[in-house]
Amino acid sequence: MSENKKYHIKRTDKETLRKWFYLMTLGRAIDNKAPNYLKQAIGWSYHAPYAGHDGIQLAIGQVFDKDTDHLFPYYRDMLTAISAGLTATETILNGISKATDLASGGRHMSNHFAKPEWNIHNVSSCTGNHTLHAVGVGRGMKRYNHKGVAISSQGESSVSEGYVYEAINGASNEQLPVLFVFQDNGYGISVPKKDQTANRKVANNFSGLKNLKIYHCNGKDVFDSMNTMEEAKQWIIENQQPAIVQANCVRMHSHSNSDRHELYRDEHERNYVIEYDPLEKYRRMLLRYERFTEEELQEIEKQVKDEVKKAHKEAMAAPDPDPESIFDFVSPEPYVSTKYPQGLHSGEGTPMKLIEGINETLKAEFRHNPDTYIWGQDIANKDKGGIFNVSKGMQQEFGIERVFNAPIAEDYIMGTANGMSRFKDNIRIVVEGAEFADYFWPAMEQYIESSHDYWRSNGAFAPNVTIRLASGGYIGGGLYHSQNIEGALASIPGVRIVYPSYADDAAGLLRTSMRSKGLTLFLEPKALYNDPVASAPVPDDFEVPFGKARVRREGSDLTIITYGNTTHMCMTVAKKLEEEEGVKAEVIDLRSLVPLDEETILASVKKTGKVLVVHEDKVFGGFGGEVASIITERAFEWLDGPVKRVGSTFTPVGFNRILEAAILPNVDKIYEAASDLVNY
Amino acid sequence: MKDIAILYSFNTQKTSRAAKMIQESFGGKLKQVNVENITKEEFLAYENYILGVPTWFDGELPNYWDEFMPDLEEVNLKGKTFALYGAGDQVGYPENFVDAIGLLGKVIEERGGKLIGFTKNEGYTFENSKALRGDVFCGLPLDFENQARQAKPRIAAWVEQLKKEFK
Repeated sequence: MSENKKYHIKRTDKETLRKWFYLMTLGRAIDNKAPNYLKQAIGWSYHAPYAGHDGIQLAIGQVFDKDTDHLFPYYRDMLTAISAGLTATETILNGISKATDLASGGRHMSNHFAKPEWNIHNVSSCTGNHTLHAVGVGRGMKRYNHKGVAISSQGESSVSEGYVYEAINGASNEQLPVLFVFQDNGYGISVPKKDQTANRKVANNFSGLKNLKIYHCNGKDVFDSMNTMEEAKQWIIENQQPAIVQANCVRMHSHSNSDRHELYRDEHERNYVIEYDPLEKYRRMLLRYERFTEEELQEIEKQVKDEVKKAHKEAMAAPDPDPESIFDFVSPEPYVSTKYPQGLHSGEGTPMKLIEGINETLKAEFRHNPDTYIWGQDIANKDKGGIFNVSKGMQQEFGIERVFNAPIAEDYIMGTANGMSRFKDNIRIVVEGAEFADYFWPAMEQYIESSHDYWRSNGAFAPNVTIRLASGGYIGGGLYHSQNIEGALASIPGVRIVYPSYADDAAGLLRTSMRSKGLTLFLEPKALYNDPVASAPVPDDFEVPFGKARVRREGSDLTIITYGNTTHMCMTVAKKLEEEEGVKAEVIDLRSLVPLDEETILASVKKTGKVLVVHEDKVFGGFGGEVASIITERAFEWLDGPVKRVGSTFTPVGFNRILEAAILPNVDKIYEAASDLVNY
Repeated sequence: MKDIAILYSFNTQKTSRAAKMIQESFGGKLKQVNVENITKEEFLAYENYILGVPTWFDGELPNYWDEFMPDLEEVNLKGKTFALYGAGDQVGYPENFVDAIGLLGKVIEERGGKLIGFTKNEGYTFENSKALRGDVFCGLPLDFENQARQAKPRIAAWVEQLKKEFK
């Protein structure tokens, strides 16, 4: 029993007991005060009260060491954050969404506490999605022989999420120093545990995983929580393996201020959870075992009251966010090329295939920056390097520590990339996000999360990740090996999207992506990997800036705007138009969709007066709609005809080549549309 | 047989109801002691004990017992005899059915106390219990949620057993 444990009501020194009581009283005072801000229409419109989780939250914060650890608190973790070092003022600044809120400057929802400078991370509202980030940080700790622990704190219902399984399975497989804390209050909003999983002790659902230790503790009890958390952290550091602590808590109030627990909890239950108020229990213990007198405790309570009053005043006086600032920190400033500011080169040298351009650039960048990593499904096994061998030879040259396979878990691939880049600012990660772009959808929640990390954290953190995806059709691949996903993704701010069509641009854009901060979606037209038509000479140090289109063929009669696979079709069409009709078509290869080179587009439209937008993705809802709208809005006066579009039909891509040909754009379809437009 | 004290929280409902039934079966001879805020000295005043210890949440001691543990872990219980009963819910909480009986029983034995009143595990369906030792519980489990009607006969049989086992 507890006589051998470090922390004990009779043996723990009085100063420590005092500190705990102060923090718990402070946390509870703010937790109780938070709803008043909403009632007075000041803010804190989302508040998930933590009362009932006091023991474990105190313990998480106390075992966290800002010099060595990383902490991912969830939206109920107010006391965790305070115990880890947030001041009362910093807590209230977050609650009422002020410009000086450390977590996000008022951008992220209230009650999402963070202090990025101390590695107390700003997490998503998507419950438990930070488990993947903690695992990624754990991977960083292991790679760099860092002695620390990544702590992921979350509610027990979050364990129902598939990505939480991916995270714990991965931490177990990679043997990473990650501590998962499940704060178990029995409910996911109104959904009881029995509707989530058959096992009340949800941590035991993971008991079959190797290299993982599972602890259970009473999260309502300060001493049990402290002893368990300290033991678990120590065990992780000594064994370099993950652990789970499931802490039994009660939720004394509703899930949040938008929930009414009296609709689903009877009076008896509401009363008994309040009866087991962890703060009251700790107070009783301090008195019962004569560690403090009533007067001493009242004095501490008075100090807390004064501190909260002072913090309230300071927070209320703090500035509100500036509406002018909304465009700050959408994407970090990219790497700037001094040698190739337009992303153009002399064109001399031996042509290289597109796949070689990517492979050579990956290798060159791995030589250039020792803090680069690549992983994905199928990425490295002997002579195989990726499903299309794009990463061939990399593991042999750079080792399994930097080039390695990932499980078939796309969200894990993406989420741990986000997490690992939190460990060190100069880390650059390339992931093959999925075997094919078509399989990227399971990673979508981490894609979304990563897209707004930089904005959400008010510029404090950006995942430095390049997501490579083999995209598009023309290989007879059917519904799961032919998709283009850029149209669907371009509406999500915070990600640069590039889609080269030639070897040199692929190399140049990849180099820029891998040297830039932030997130880049790097789409590769897989049908062109080995196609001589996409070959080009590639200078060793070539760089292509984001947002710079390339005029692949100059013309004065018609502008064809395109990217990816269809660039080559458009080049053929342009040649044919000139040869057969004497029409000079200008072909613009966008290269970057986000950011978009609007100036090059508009300059061409002004010159030709007619525009055809071509891409492989569907016309309906495709990226061409955005291009066409920009032209209509900004260059209407120069137009001599409607902006026309060619792309896929609004259907899936069929497997039989006859179906595929009927669905995807081709030279004939483009030629016909171009010809119509010229004759308009 | 020496005097027996029955200790439980007077604030409880089911545990108090069981205490009342036990008291009746003993012909009202038990000394009733409220365990809420009990001191070490008050606890040590007896030789034969019946302790009411329901299981809270996912396998915890109730706070009134839990808060007494730091004292209980230090006392000498040699020569004292204890019988434990407690409520649990084998359907709602099958992973930790009457764990609290096991938790309290372990401390009592570590401090030299003797446990009596073990009962067969027949008639219960659950997954795990810290009170289980082989095929017997180290006390009497009562399940008012799912087997309310069996409380009375179980208590009656248990009391008969205790009458033989208490000295």
